[in-house]
Amino acid sequence: MTIRVLDPTHEKSAAGLKLAPRHRSLAGQTIGFISNGKEGTKGFFTELERGLREQLGVAKVVWRTKSNYSAPADTHIADEIKRWQAVITGVGD
Amino acid sequence: MNQVALVSKSFEVDDFAAAQELYHANGWTDGLPVVPPTETAVRACLEWALMPPDQLLGIEPVREQPITAEKLAVNAVMAGCLPMHFPIVATAWQAMMKEEFLLHGITSSTGGCAVLVVINGPVRHEIGANATFNALGNSDRATAVIGRALRLGLINLLDVRSGGIDRSTLGHPGKFSYCLTEDEEDTTWQSLSVVRGIPSDASAVTVMAAMAPRQIMNEWTTDPREILETFAAEMRANQLNYSIYGGNYVIVIPKQLREPIERAGWSKRDVAEFLFERARVRRGDWASVGKGSVVRDRADKIHTALGSPDDLLVVAAGGPAGGFGAVIPPWMGSKTRAVTAAIGVCVDCEP
Amino acid sequence: MPAIAVMTERFVSAAELMGRALGMPGYEFAVIGHPISSASPEQLADYASRVVEQARRLLLRP
Repeated sequence: MTIRVLDPTHEKSAAGLKLAPRHRSLAGQTIGFISNGKEGTKGFFTELERGLREQLGVAKVVWRTKSNYSAPADTHIADEIKRWQAVITGVGD
Repeated sequence: MNQVALVSKSFEVDDFAAAQELYHANGWTDGLPVVPPTETAVRACLEWALMPPDQLLGIEPVREQPITAEKLAVNAVMAGCLPMHFPIVATAWQAMMKEEFLLHGITSSTGGCAVLVVINGPVRHEIGANATFNALGNSDRATAVIGRALRLGLINLLDVRSGGIDRSTLGHPGKFSYCLTEDEEDTTWQSLSVVRGIPSDASAVTVMAAMAPRQIMNEWTTDPREILETFAAEMRANQLNYSIYGGNYVIVIPKQLREPIERAGWSKRDVAEFLFERARVRRGDWASVGKGSVVRDRADKIHTALGSPDDLLVVAAGGPAGGFGAVIPPWMGSKTRAVTAAIGVCVDCEP
Repeated sequence: MPAIAVMTERFVSAAELMGRALGMPGYEFAVIGHPISSASPEQLADYASRVVEQARRLLLRP
């Protein structure tokens, strides 16, 4: 005697997103850092800024830290992104 | 409601054992056997809760994932829920999806918390929930399956799978089921839900992102201050050894410790105010537990376990004998907040 | 907006899952060693230089 049973999952695959076009160069550009503010990130991002300026010619780096490291970036940070040319978020640990 | 078709894909399996293998192989379980969710069983839950299958219970914001009554009912049946358990599951789920609960954060974190559920009000009797012996263990069928339904829902509806989105380093046994009720008849205190603003004749659930219980013992005094000092000491230990940041704490006070506190005329508010004062540590004390490297220049900063007395959730539960109590700490400070919701009051609310 | 998510190697599987869940399977990240919270300044500098190299690949057109 067979049983008919139901799928417990959401059964959804999300709508596809597209990758934003990449830059030819980062020289003279502004990059934003969105940090989760956890232990070690300050040292990491300090070194990262130095490396991006020296090796990739980045002109300006804006630092922002999320108010809650386990939540997506605050709305005011997300709104600022449009003023930058690239974003680096981290660190997932 | 009977006319609305269920949308879940279905599978034909040979028998109960085959159903187990299908569900386990697909990662749809918590490792324990599941009740095969048939259309009949799922519809019975939905009818009891007066919900059409496509009723939207909410949308998890980080994944933008809509959750319907049908899908939650499938998981509730798998957990072993009877129809009368489902309204409680649905209310708890909606409470978990409130922004302040931070559902994605708490379920994906390495911290490994579980969702604690406290059930209050008349529904406790309807479902036969037991607030006495084994309040934090296997006290009764209702609390076992209601707690489990939430975990299965997290696994299947939000992909919170171990090693996937769920990065818990350790987790704790509450991740199987972490549900209790309050012994409202055997206390002079207001129930947890009433303290948190729900009318006394309504049934309610409170959900909290919680670590494992830490059991204390003090059977050598009847002085409320001394009894509660032991609770405070456990909260301070949690602050030093686990997480120093203040947030919601649950304390469970069984009868033997509860009676002297009540007899001395202390209310839950008095308990909360006392613990607000006593459960605090100096940041510099971190050095005594191997965390000296993060004291920095703030050694004299005082961290309170509770942001305010309102942060404490006092639950009267547990067996009649034994000078034990429990402290249940939050996942991590105040980044997540406990949520209390009335059951059945808002059947077709907006998500 | 071109973006890189930096994570330690122990979080790659979670990020891959989230990428799929959000409709971007195969989205690439910058990966560094684990953990960060107790890493020395020298280790952090090393991690940062690895991200600069990965940034060349992930933020710039080939």
